Amino acid sequence: MIRHVLRYPSARAACLILGVVAVLATAGPALAPHDPLAQDTAALLQGPSAVHWLGTDALGRDVFSRLLAGSTVSVLASLLSVAVGLLLGVVPGLLSVFLGKRFEWINLRLIDALMMLPFLVFAIAMTAMLGNGLVQAMFAVGILITPVFFRVSRAAALSVANAEYIEAARLMGASTASVIRRHVLRKVVPAVAVSAASMTGACLSIVASLTFLGIGVVPPDPTWGGLLATDLANLYDRPFGPIAPALLIVATVWALNALADAMRDTGTDNKEKPA
Amino acid sequence: MTGNVISLDSHVPHGRRSEITLVEPLLSVRGLRITAADGRTLVRDVDLDLPAGGTLGIVGESGSGKSLTCRAILDLLPPGLALASGTIRYRNVDLSGLDARSWRALRGIELSAVFQDPASYLNPSIPVGRQLTEAIRAVLKLSRKAALARALELLGRVGFRDAEAVYPQYPHELSGGMAQRVLIALAICAGPSLLIADEATTALDATIQAEVLDLIATLRREEDLTLIMVSHDLAVVSQVCDRIVVMRGGEIVEAGPTHSVLHHPKSDYTRSLIDDHAVHTIDTTEGRQPPAAAPASPPLLSVSGLAAGYGIRTVVQGIDIEVAPGEILGLIGETGSGKTTLLRTILGLIPAARGAITLDGQQIDGLSDRRLRDFRRSGALQYVFQDPLRSLDPDLTIGESITEGLRLQASLGLSAMKASVAAALVSVGLDPQLADRLPGQLSGGQRQRTVIARALALDPRLLLLDEPVSALDAVNRSHVLKLLRRLADERGIAQIFISHDLGSVAGIADRVVVLHHGEIVETGPARMVLAHPAHPYTRRLLAAAPRIPREAPAAARPLFTAY
Amino acid sequence: MTAAIDSSRASVPDLRLGHAKALLRQVGSTLGIAVPVFFVATLITFLLGVVSGLDPAAAIAGDAASPKTIARIRADLGLDLPMPLQYLHWMGEVLRGDLGTSWFNGVPASELIFQRLPISLSIAGMALLAGIVGGTALGLVAGVRQGSRLDRATTLFAAVVSSLPPFVVAFLLILIFSLWLGWLPSSGYVPFSEDPAGWLAAISIPAVALSVDVVADIARQLRTGLVGELSENYVTGAVVRGLSRRRILFVHVLRNAAGPALTVLALKVPMLIGGAVVTEAIFNMPGMGKLAADSALRGDVPVVQGTLVVSILLILACNLCVNVLLGILQPASRRRN
Repeated sequence: MIRHVLRYPSARAACLILGVVAVLATAGPALAPHDPLAQDTAALLQGPSAVHWLGTDALGRDVFSRLLAGSTVSVLASLLSVAVGLLLGVVPGLLSVFLGKRFEWINLRLIDALMMLPFLVFAIAMTAMLGNGLVQAMFAVGILITPVFFRVSRAAALSVANAEYIEAARLMGASTASVIRRHVLRKVVPAVAVSAASMTGACLSIVASLTFLGIGVVPPDPTWGGLLATDLANLYDRPFGPIAPALLIVATVWALNALADAMRDTGTDNKEKPA
Repeated sequence: MTGNVISLDSHVPHGRRSEITLVEPLLSVRGLRITAADGRTLVRDVDLDLPAGGTLGIVGESGSGKSLTCRAILDLLPPGLALASGTIRYRNVDLSGLDARSWRALRGIELSAVFQDPASYLNPSIPVGRQLTEAIRAVLKLSRKAALARALELLGRVGFRDAEAVYPQYPHELSGGMAQRVLIALAICAGPSLLIADEATTALDATIQAEVLDLIATLRREEDLTLIMVSHDLAVVSQVCDRIVVMRGGEIVEAGPTHSVLHHPKSDYTRSLIDDHAVHTIDTTEGRQPPAAAPASPPLLSVSGLAAGYGIRTVVQGIDIEVAPGEILGLIGETGSGKTTLLRTILGLIPAARGAITLDGQQIDGLSDRRLRDFRRSGALQYVFQDPLRSLDPDLTIGESITEGLRLQASLGLSAMKASVAAALVSVGLDPQLADRLPGQLSGGQRQRTVIARALALDPRLLLLDEPVSALDAVNRSHVLKLLRRLADERGIAQIFISHDLGSVAGIADRVVVLHHGEIVETGPARMVLAHPAHPYTRRLLAAAPRIPREAPAAARPLFTAY
Repeated sequence: MTAAIDSSRASVPDLRLGHAKALLRQVGSTLGIAVPVFFVATLITFLLGVVSGLDPAAAIAGDAASPKTIARIRADLGLDLPMPLQYLHWMGEVLRGDLGTSWFNGVPASELIFQRLPISLSIAGMALLAGIVGGTALGLVAGVRQGSRLDRATTLFAAVVSSLPPFVVAFLLILIFSLWLGWLPSSGYVPFSEDPAGWLAAISIPAVALSVDVVADIARQLRTGLVGELSENYVTGAVVRGLSRRRILFVHVLRNAAGPALTVLALKVPMLIGGAVVTEAIFNMPGMGKLAADSALRGDVPVVQGTLVVSILLILACNLCVNVLLGILQPASRRRN
């Protein structure tokens, strides 16, 4: 699978970017040349220089260091949101196909209801009311993206649920659990993996939006979205300011989407290829 | 066959040709060559001549290039394929050099076509009548009112008794035969000269197929149409066409008047096509003793007074069937006759509304979930699906698929498991080495044997087979049929064999049951029923089966003369 | 002539009635789904207030209040009732149009919301419109001219845009149209009734910023739909019948190809209404999203719940419209479901 995916040039570029992001996320704070919280009142809103590669912000903090230090929180937050969404979405998604009409109806209505919630407003409301913090924000986003994983896993399970080989297994006396284990899981995992990759990107963007609004992260702690917010506030003084954090967010999200696309394409290629 | 003197008889693949063309052909194809984007040649050196009013049949299996040739004539080649060389002349126009505007002036008005799977050629979201008036207005420039009148008239002409009732229906509300009639109405709405019927009756039930063929033949006469009829079935084409072209692998292997192609085939391939028609229908019964009139031993399966359906709709009722060990029961009926419903009820997939089903003295209908699962795990009753590819998990190897039922039965050791897989594969005549392959890597015949092997691995008493050979070509069909007969004779495995194809049932069944509208209309020893059908419906079913005309040489005996 | 076949299972008026009934049934079943969904969604909203653990009684009573006073206020507010009863009580009020009173300034929540609703509706509505127009145009061209330069450009555009958070787009647009060109204001809102031109100028950047995402998704879905439908047999059938390219595309193919795009559009509405929060924050507009965010941070539960209920109603209404439209465009899909 991995070797097939890497045949795509875009997938190779995506992996390179994600590798860099992974390094930033794990070792970012250690790599930072300055203390991301240290204020230098002598150097406010500076442009890029040899000392401050990306300049300083309104409080004289080194932007480059804050960018590196913010990586861990930003990446971790989106990964954990996806984990919550996967946990809450995939299992009911699969079972809704196999556990009878009533279970299916209840699940579908719950998911419909989740999809009817105004996304960001609800995420904000939930985070704020549960006590404004990163864990709460991740939990809120995770719940809100649950429908995506529910639908993807349900669609994949549905596409095989009426397959004749599943009927054949049932006619040999196979139980639902054994049917899911032997026949269904294999078809669901690739589809879920694809949407997990693209949803990680989406969550990164959502978490950035939330932190941009000051939700989920307490102000002095740096995040990519928060940096962008302060940079936009100081647009007149440092018009180039938002470029670096915006670029970092866009590149990461693009890489995840490109990887998801490549995974999807290999999936369909393999299916279409006559054996 | 007047006015139909053309050059097909003397077709020689290598270009030496001594044709006498008395009539200016309506359509003339010369040196047609179709290539794919990757350089493969899909059709080569195809020459056809068709005089006005002539009927030409093109026969070949899938991939022979017969449909591509037609699509090239209509300029409808699938994306990626192109006309590499050759000319197509219609009247005095070279079709290969036409622009889009001229094509529009030609299609629908001069050239038209009908295809297989007719409902898919209609827009699913627009009532069929509106699609008909639209086509009429597009080509004939009639007023809305006149177009409506013409549409209703056309619907009447293609055989709808109440045209106004068909008009507002959506394609999915029509049966296959009705949709094909609508498509034919669309094709003739502007009074075209040339009609191409590409597998137009394939996948329709035999009686419907006969009706549609009849309709095409009638309209051809009345409308003075020139007809190209494409089919994989030599019998279908030979009923309607004066001349036949046989294609294989993108080339013409034989061409000539229908009579001489059928009775004096020049190529081995044509001969094999004619032989196939005979072989799978009869030969397998050779040398077998007819079974006792009534099963002497107590029946293995007994179904009495059974009624079943979906929800409040009853599909089958009053069903009484008995099957003795080692007996093959043929279940014949057309789409909607309830034969699949009956099978699924026996399998416990549909609850029986009334009646009882017993297998070996044990009642098997109305079991609780747990008892049903236990019964299924015993493996006594096994099911073989119509399409082997879809009934095998594409991600599991052949071996894994075969052991699935064994795993559910008991915890066998790895080596015991391997041994039983090998035994099952050998018993259906497959190489045990295939156990490591995926279904996608096998041929259609091998796959169907695998499915049978999967059933045999559980040592069944009764096999239910739903159209087990209809997806197979003639050669594999007869092999699988022989295998099934041997299983019944040597291992005493009783079978219920569903088919709409009388030929395959005739070959192996001991007794047949004919289903019509959910009820048994006739039952008896296979030979008796097929040779002397008592019920009018059975007679109609037998008459509708396409066959090759009688004066054919020994190999091409009419369908059921073996009895 | 072949034997006439019996096509008339029903008479003509019966059939027409049947088709109309099928459409009504679709509307009915959509409503039948919408009602439970509304209750579940509002229940989630209600529970949010409960889980928050915020107690208005203490705030209203003030620091010096005795526990007894607080208990009395709680009883007045109905907070001492069991939770299901509290929900029913709250739901009853909501259905009567009473969304409660702000815990902070005592103003009815509905008044606060309806003051700000026009702003949010202007932006989200305009974004929806821009998204549909732009997305349809791009998707049509890309779908019909598969593999052309424009198709590849559209695909690239969709890929880039879907990786941009909306506020980044907003920032780019401000940079270009406000800072460099000075054509449009970078913040503030003018009501339509006061100055239509000013209204348009004020909402155009936020609306366009919100819509890019919609444009990209609609274009992508429409393209996929078109590519799929154009290879269907009925297109071949229409070509054989001699219909013009334009007629085949707009009369036959488009309605069948619009399914995925319309579905995505319905899914995008919650994103649009939610996404308005960010744009309203950037452009400093006192819209509903900003109200929700501010109230949430203040812990003003009735106002937050009110904004959510209003948003849910708007979203449900949009979904209903899309479903009915799909039912009209594709009668066959009714049967399949």
